[in-house]
Amino acid sequence: MMKRYIFTILLALFTTQFSPSVWAEEPIEGLELETAPINRSDMDSIKRGAKFFATNCVSCHTLSYLRYDPIVKEAGIPTDKKPLAINGVVPPDLSLEASSKGVDWIYTYLHSFYKDTSTASGVNNLLFPGTAMPAILAPYQGEQVRVEKPVYDLLHHVEWFDLVKPVRPGSMKPDEFDKAVADLTNFLAYAAEPFHEQQQKIGYWVLGFLVILFVLMYMLKKEYWKDVKRHKE
Amino acid sequence: MSEQELSKKNKFMEWVDKRYPWTDFWEKHLSKYYAPRNFNFWYYFGSFSLLVFVMQILSGIWLVMEYTPTGEGSFASVQHIMREVRYGWLLRFMHTTGASAFFVVVYLHMYRGLIYGSYQKPRELVWLIGMVIYFCLLVEAFTGYVLPWGQMSYWGASVITSFASAIPYIGDLLLTWLRGGFSVTGVSLHRFFSLHVIAIPLLLAVLIFVHLVALHHVGSNNPDGIDIKKHKDKNGIPLDGIPFHPYYTVKDLVGVVVFLFIFSCVVFFSPQMGGLFLEPDNYVLANPMVTPPEIAPVWYMTPFYAMLRAIPNKLFGVITMAAGIAIMFVLPWLDRSRVRSIRYKGIYSKIAILVFVICFIGLGYLGHEGVSPLRTLMARIFTLGYFGFFLLMPIYTSYENTKPLPERVTG
Repeated sequence: MMKRYIFTILLALFTTQFSPSVWAEEPIEGLELETAPINRSDMDSIKRGAKFFATNCVSCHTLSYLRYDPIVKEAGIPTDKKPLAINGVVPPDLSLEASSKGVDWIYTYLHSFYKDTSTASGVNNLLFPGTAMPAILAPYQGEQVRVEKPVYDLLHHVEWFDLVKPVRPGSMKPDEFDKAVADLTNFLAYAAEPFHEQQQKIGYWVLGFLVILFVLMYMLKKEYWKDVKRHKE
Repeated sequence: MSEQELSKKNKFMEWVDKRYPWTDFWEKHLSKYYAPRNFNFWYYFGSFSLLVFVMQILSGIWLVMEYTPTGEGSFASVQHIMREVRYGWLLRFMHTTGASAFFVVVYLHMYRGLIYGSYQKPRELVWLIGMVIYFCLLVEAFTGYVLPWGQMSYWGASVITSFASAIPYIGDLLLTWLRGGFSVTGVSLHRFFSLHVIAIPLLLAVLIFVHLVALHHVGSNNPDGIDIKKHKDKNGIPLDGIPFHPYYTVKDLVGVVVFLFIFSCVVFFSPQMGGLFLEPDNYVLANPMVTPPEIAPVWYMTPFYAMLRAIPNKLFGVITMAAGIAIMFVLPWLDRSRVRSIRYKGIYSKIAILVFVICFIGLGYLGHEGVSPLRTLMARIFTLGYFGFFLLMPIYTSYENTKPLPERVTG
């Protein structure tokens, strides 16, 4: 533990001393991802996330590998659309976003938009500076601005909420927004691995079977090896 | 079984044996193949390698049924397997986990040979054939990794094929020939597919057979590194030998269940293995316009990749990397020790093995991480240690004091 603290302090000292431009266009060093509070077996959460996706995300993003997915169909997410370019950038297909970026990344990314007049969309993102994505969730989350000189404990890593502060509330309370983003993240986790539930369920059966098989095989081995005499000097 | 049935069975086998040496084969390789009775933990990994090979062939056969080996269709066909083919995800995860598992068991199998001197006379050819198998496995793994056509597939293929261009005079020509064009394209993918599913598996099957024939001709070594054929009973059976079947077949079955347990934990609960077995960047379609921030090969190739990066000159880097693999081939002629097993070798050999293990694992770690001045320095030290282990072997194995060998196997 102590070692980690010392390392963190050194890292913090190093970054403040040698890289004054650390808050500029590069991803922020030491910015910790917030753990997405999701339960991947919670089908209701996944379905709520799918609904949220259908309402807010489908105008730009596609889920091209989920053409035949029942949950995608149920939520009314169109699957035959081509993505539209915004400011010359084609929004990525999100079928595998949870696998390539990770759920914590998605959860943190969707939380960390802030006002920035220097960009074309008027917002920027802590995790993905210069992102072409507009603050599509700002009506729910409210508007955030960057904290110019973040005050944070050197002993802890920086999280997104250390670096922004709300300036105008959105239509959702902070915990409602967290829940909605968690559902959306959970849906994207499902989108990347729709087999996840089946995989876990079969997995436990397979392991259980192997434990029983181990006992049988071990007894069989003991039985055969009884007659292998050990040579003693 | 009644006597009548028994004689019927014998008659059938008689009929077969007159036409095909089935019983001869069975006895030579299994029921009358006498293996030392003191095999320990390290002796499971040969059987495991064979098991993984069979699993890779079987899961591979079913994957090929749904996979499209073209630049346009490959990535989507993998997603089709993962989502729409029934149990397709299971087949693919078995295959991807199997690739890493293959290297885990083969590395441990090779380490066993290293510590017990299983490469020494008269088993030089067993070791050499094994090394050819290892090299084929590296090619097999590389060509297979290209097939999902994600970013790492593409850029990994670009980096690894570019090694050819380091060769003077013919390098660029060779590079174009390997890739089937001036850069890695769907043409390269298609040829790697052919190599991955036909040429190399076929070669591997033959080589594994030859490896076993060579082994069974000279007999298995054991943790004591002594010859069990020195003490035989009146029937000519080694006193310390037991028939491979049923003794080691039932023992290996216990090991196989334990292996499958660990294997299943990965397949069902962590097939990405935190990015070690399946890299996150490979979930993004190959894009020649966007270079990923870090291009690192999968973990089993990272020790050699670290050697490559440790050398500033491209040609010498490639030579060092190739030498890192090539030097393992000549191991039987570097060891001058009077004894085989580490149990009876002297202190220098023991230190050397320890240094080798630290260097190899250290290089593996460094090859996986990004570059920094400290890491480059470490990689250079480890590369020296790695080569030192082999190149100094003729010296330290001839001058050290060895312990007296036992007459019969211990334990």
